[in-house]
Amino acid sequence: MSGEPGQNVHALEACGLTKRYGRLTAIEGVSFQVAPGEIVGFLGPNGAGKSTTLGILAGRLLATEGRAYIGGISVASEPAAARQRLAHMPENNPLPEEARVREYLELRARLKGVEEDRVGLRVDQVLHDCNLRERASSLIGQLSKGFRQRVGIADALIAEPEVVLLDEPTIGLDPQQILGIRDLLRSLRGKLAMLISSHILSEVEQVCDRVIIIHRGKIVAQGSPAALRQDLLPPPALLITTSASATDVLAIAQKIDPSAQARETAAGTIRVELSATSQARAQLLAALIQANLSVTALTEEPTGLEAIFLAATRRETSEAAVR
Amino acid sequence: MRAFRTLLIHELRLAWLGWTTWATWALFLGLQATVFWYATLATSRTPMPWTPIEAVFAWFPLPLLCILPLLTMRPLAEERRAGTLSALLTTQAGPTAVVLAKFFAVWLTWITFWISFAVLPFVTYWSLGSAADGRLIDLVTLGGGIIFVAVSGLLHVALGLLCGSRTRSPALAALLTFVSLLAMTVAGGLLETLPTDGWESIAWLRAPAEHLKNLAHLNDFAAGILDSAPLVLYFSGSLLCLGLTILNVEAPD
Repeated sequence: MSGEPGQNVHALEACGLTKRYGRLTAIEGVSFQVAPGEIVGFLGPNGAGKSTTLGILAGRLLATEGRAYIGGISVASEPAAARQRLAHMPENNPLPEEARVREYLELRARLKGVEEDRVGLRVDQVLHDCNLRERASSLIGQLSKGFRQRVGIADALIAEPEVVLLDEPTIGLDPQQILGIRDLLRSLRGKLAMLISSHILSEVEQVCDRVIIIHRGKIVAQGSPAALRQDLLPPPALLITTSASATDVLAIAQKIDPSAQARETAAGTIRVELSATSQARAQLLAALIQANLSVTALTEEPTGLEAIFLAATRRETSEAAVR
Repeated sequence: MRAFRTLLIHELRLAWLGWTTWATWALFLGLQATVFWYATLATSRTPMPWTPIEAVFAWFPLPLLCILPLLTMRPLAEERRAGTLSALLTTQAGPTAVVLAKFFAVWLTWITFWISFAVLPFVTYWSLGSAADGRLIDLVTLGGGIIFVAVSGLLHVALGLLCGSRTRSPALAALLTFVSLLAMTVAGGLLETLPTDGWESIAWLRAPAEHLKNLAHLNDFAAGILDSAPLVLYFSGSLLCLGLTILNVEAPD
């Protein structure tokens, strides 16, 4: 994927980042890449090291070991050049309470190097993109949490950075506001690389192309949700909607896969676990039809990111115990 | 340069749009007017060897210790507390531009306070009409005093910002500034009282004692005497404080 660290086309690259506070190791050997235009979720429980990693990537914290690159530029060696390509919205999204939305964004645009004759244009654009036009003249201190987050995202987008780091962008928002922010993030897909730190799994699953799972300061898994599902979880169970009993279905299933399990989960729905592949599923369906059992639906049981996350962290914990 | 200009305008707007600067200004003018008023009354009753304006500048440590910490406590400590300082440093504005913009905004505000006080003797003179004494408008002392405030203010403001650069508490920043300015104001006098004649090992302290005599420098400026020693002290001291402040702001957590 990459040759020399920092000498490639990755929008963002972390190479063996380690941060120690005295004896406490906050993160250790954290390495990952984000491609241009990709939205990556950075998952982990509270205290896993997400904000520390983002702080190092944004140049706000010094790594004890390792290097971070933004568009191939070292964050530690060339902070000014790296800052030009990066925007970071920290977790608490600090904003000046006494400023008005438009004047704050104009100030940030100027400080981020937007040419003077484009400042108004860019501010109008991000106000539009972030659905803030009606609040442009409001005092930031009087905005709801959802609108404050939008202002933070608008600030992140104003200088058209290549990479945006968002730390818990939906924390503390009500469901309506979460939907709004989620739609906004989806609308940015392909336009810039985005690393979204979150501990809300459903949010990451719905927005991100790929996820990186960090646990106790170490990356325990990374990839697309589908790839991680395949890597970390057993084949998903089948949900069969039928008038037949669980015993009948189990008898047929065990002829195909002796280790099959079946139980009724709801009226008319039987959950079948097969250890084998999709071929076994096709055989099961054919066998059920051949046995004249009425099957009205056969679906894979959905496995959410929660299951992947739990499997990844469990695996890391058991590996650590073995070591 | 663009970042500095943008930030300076922003800092000045922020300072003068908020009520705290206006309240501090009112406090400053109240303090100065009180001293000026009592000095004018005293000189009107009995001929004094000083003018009311000289009396106001003789009380210079009072606004220096009570008012200046109120101006320097917020720019860095308050922003650090709110988290907006580190957000500012994620932009193209480097720590030098950030610190210099805040420094000049406070310094200009401090000068504005003193220039606004200069109006008071004129108002008093005109309001007294034919009864007014020409010594009410002591232009040499007034001009020299304000120039001293401007020059010494470089160091005083820089010291205040340095005190607020590593704390998240504006109150602590104000307290540190108060103590530092107090130490600086009395240091010259205290060092002078040391019995250096019998103690050759500490005789070298005479030179810094001479440099640190804040009020003596003020008197020189007010008398129109321009010596290089205070200029070197205030310029080099302010550069040192600003440099340390920039390092404090720049240092990642």
